[in-house]
Amino acid sequence: MRRLSLGSRLALLFAACTAAVSLGAGLLFSRASEQHFVELDQQLLNGRLSLMSSLLAGVATQEQLVMRLPALLNELSHQSDLALRVRGADGATWFASRGELPQAPAPTGLATLHSNGVDYRSLSAPLIDGQRASPQLTLFLDITHHQHFLQGMQRLIWLTVGLSALATALLGAWAVRRGLKPLRQMGKVAASVTAGSLTTRLPAAEMPEELAELAGTVNAMLQRLDDAFQRLSAFSADIAHELRTPLSNLLTHTQVTLTRPRSLEEYREALHGNLEELQWMAQLVNDMLYLAKADHGLLMPSRQALDLATEVDALLEYYAPLAEDAQVRLLREGQAHTEGDRHMLRRALSNLLDNALRFTPADGEIRVSLEPGLRIVVANTGPAIAPQLLERLFDRFYRADPARQEGSSEHAGLGLAITRSIVQAHGGKIRAECEDGWTRFVIELPA
Amino acid sequence: MKLLIVEDQAKTGQYLSQGLSEAGFATELASDGDTGQHLALSGDHDLLILDVMLPGRNGWQILQAVRQAGLDTPVLFLTARDAVEDRVHGLELGADDYLVKPFAFSELLARVRSLLRRGASASQDTCLALADLRLDLIRRRAERAGQRIDLTAKEFALLELLLRRQGEVLPKSLIASQVWDMNFDSDTNVIEVAIRRLRLKIDDSHATKLIHTVRGMGYVLEERHD
Repeated sequence: MRRLSLGSRLALLFAACTAAVSLGAGLLFSRASEQHFVELDQQLLNGRLSLMSSLLAGVATQEQLVMRLPALLNELSHQSDLALRVRGADGATWFASRGELPQAPAPTGLATLHSNGVDYRSLSAPLIDGQRASPQLTLFLDITHHQHFLQGMQRLIWLTVGLSALATALLGAWAVRRGLKPLRQMGKVAASVTAGSLTTRLPAAEMPEELAELAGTVNAMLQRLDDAFQRLSAFSADIAHELRTPLSNLLTHTQVTLTRPRSLEEYREALHGNLEELQWMAQLVNDMLYLAKADHGLLMPSRQALDLATEVDALLEYYAPLAEDAQVRLLREGQAHTEGDRHMLRRALSNLLDNALRFTPADGEIRVSLEPGLRIVVANTGPAIAPQLLERLFDRFYRADPARQEGSSEHAGLGLAITRSIVQAHGGKIRAECEDGWTRFVIELPA
Repeated sequence: MKLLIVEDQAKTGQYLSQGLSEAGFATELASDGDTGQHLALSGDHDLLILDVMLPGRNGWQILQAVRQAGLDTPVLFLTARDAVEDRVHGLELGADDYLVKPFAFSELLARVRSLLRRGASASQDTCLALADLRLDLIRRRAERAGQRIDLTAKEFALLELLLRRQGEVLPKSLIASQVWDMNFDSDTNVIEVAIRRLRLKIDDSHATKLIHTVRGMGYVLEERHD
């Protein structure tokens, strides 16, 4: 089942609210006016009844009443909507100014009665105060016109309720439609986004306050998508480019070798040349698969307690011969412990050391600092890196030197990307800084 | 030593078969899972090299059948898939090793030799030797032609590895893993430098060179008579 649209829902809600409010107001008003009429009637009846009582003062029998009738009738003739009934103490009707008067429900007090299509308000009282065996006076006031007025008013109230609900529903629908225009615009923009137009943005500044935040969030999402997409596109292009050079070398080399018969030594040499290219390509593919795994969240580090000092010392020992050749000092300072995947962290740090060794000039220094808490800083002396390039160091295939030297031993530029993936898989962060002649790679791991 | 290779990719199977034969192993090649399992269950192989994805039954099923038949032939898996759960699955089923394509043949050869050696009783050598090179494992001393050679701990470990597996070409990755416990492919030339330094101490002052570079494959310790 299709759910009701937001606009219809709001319109109905508005209508219900207006209906409830106007109904409440109407009922209150109707109650108040009815109350007001009752008070008016009571005032009038009280006055008349005391007048009648004084006219009939001293009457104890029907015969005595007949004597007073002319004055009574005269008084009654002044007001046509008033009727009087007098009953003896035994309940027998001594006099009634009008036929078909209803029975009063109580011997004393005010009541509202209905008889033969006429509404009455009645007030009864004994002729002699406080005496049970006294003749009983009941005054009837014809209040049909009041009732008509009240009924008319109730109709008016219902009409108002209905009409105002309808009007608010329509106006509300219109207002909601207008109010939700930015949402529809958002929808339109979202619908127009394709892989080729990820640069589209919502005009967040023009949006109403409530939607500005949402628009901002959507824009940020589009930005992230755009970035990721750009990276992915660049990545695919880079892969093709990276593989193109060795592939073209292999093709050319193999074809040239086969163009004419050669000596055994030449064939051997050709195969060795090919082997180097192939190994380079295999390494590239393996690294890329590793990164692809990381991208898909499949890099699941094991968690074992690690003494990082031991790990770093092992790595420094591994790199010691290379560093000695390059006349670079390797140092480790500080202690730290963490839980992580030993092989993966070794690989991450090894890439950093490898990178540091590549860029540290002779007589330089590479220092690995461990800070509990937890930071691992791999710092090396060397030429400064431009600040805008620091972040890009971790991008795939990024090389400080754009023209890769021909030759298979050259690394593919995936090392730092792999390091970052490993650090991220451990829930950490890595950044590069450059100051005072030191380049620092700072890994922050959750303690 | 007879090896069974179950690999559906004709070229891969053929190259593996050729390479292993030339390395001195008798090989048998099956190109689908059913034939592979039939041959594997005959029980006359010293090592099974199984591809995971195969027509018929897959490598895991073959491994299961082999283990159920009570055979403890070592099994080396080759696969193009490198999902962690695959690796765990294979090892749980009783695989002995696991190589992800693309791999270097020298790496495969080294692993095959390791697996075959695993069956034999671990040698309790106290002394390793080749030609006039001697390594005293108990006193941690190396000497060549009676001359004492000073080695660092890692150089000693490297020489011990080369001596234990003399005649075998050891790829750099295997050396890094065995001597330094660095279990990842790294494109540094650390191993080259380490080997060069070891050569300086072992070979340079002697006419007969023992450490040889096999281009593109790795290093081998052997006495060559040219």
